[in-house]
Amino acid sequence: MKDFISITIPSHPKYLSVVRDITTKFGELNGLDESVLNDIKLAVDEACTNVIKHAYRGDTTKKILITYEVKPQTFKAVIEDSGIRAQKNLIKGRSLNDIRPGGLGIHFIRRVFDTFTFDDSKKKGNRLILIKHMKGKG
Amino acid sequence: MILCIADVKGKKIIEISGDIDMYSSPELREELMKLIMKKTPSMFVDLKKVTYIDSSGIATFVEGLKCMKSYGGRLKLCNIPPGIMEIFNFSKLDRVFEIYESIDDAISN
Repeated sequence: MKDFISITIPSHPKYLSVVRDITTKFGELNGLDESVLNDIKLAVDEACTNVIKHAYRGDTTKKILITYEVKPQTFKAVIEDSGIRAQKNLIKGRSLNDIRPGGLGIHFIRRVFDTFTFDDSKKKGNRLILIKHMKGKG
Repeated sequence: MILCIADVKGKKIIEISGDIDMYSSPELREELMKLIMKKTPSMFVDLKKVTYIDSSGIATFVEGLKCMKSYGGRLKLCNIPPGIMEIFNFSKLDRVFEIYESIDDAISN
């Protein structure tokens, strides 16, 4: 079994709630546990937030494409934009012991997804691939 | 997100409902900063009705806390739902904020 859906949202923060709702619904329909689903919802939200902040530098007129795919053993979310290329060597959250505003989003993504990879074959913008391996499913 | 700010016997109580995310956190920040500019000595933030928080929301509270500490003010978080508390714990912010089970507890401490 393999199900997937794709959505495109404007790069405006007001549409993050739509992303969260769809992430939740897609996960529920595919039997994900609520606790895992909450973590995935936060992670996908953070990935889209990063696109708005960093790839589009706050430009709310662009697009973000999000694709969800579920297989018996994996949950995958792919977030694509046409903005400024991410500098992969600079993507790291602050130390959790260094208490200051910002720098947490990447931790929220990495704590739930096993794979965090940018697809280098994308010519313009970014394609972030997030994969979670699900134990005990399938 | 809906913000309700009340003054109870000179104490500022901020009740927040709904989602705190990149879209809503600027409004929260603006309201916190208004109170901080007046050097409000204590703020009690009631999170009972908060349904979601992301890193933008967390950053807003961290910034507020740092600003308040600079003049000796205190920012107290109350009634944190389990799902939101889990985020504070993961971020190690449960060690940084004053966290109480209720507004009454926070006021009496």
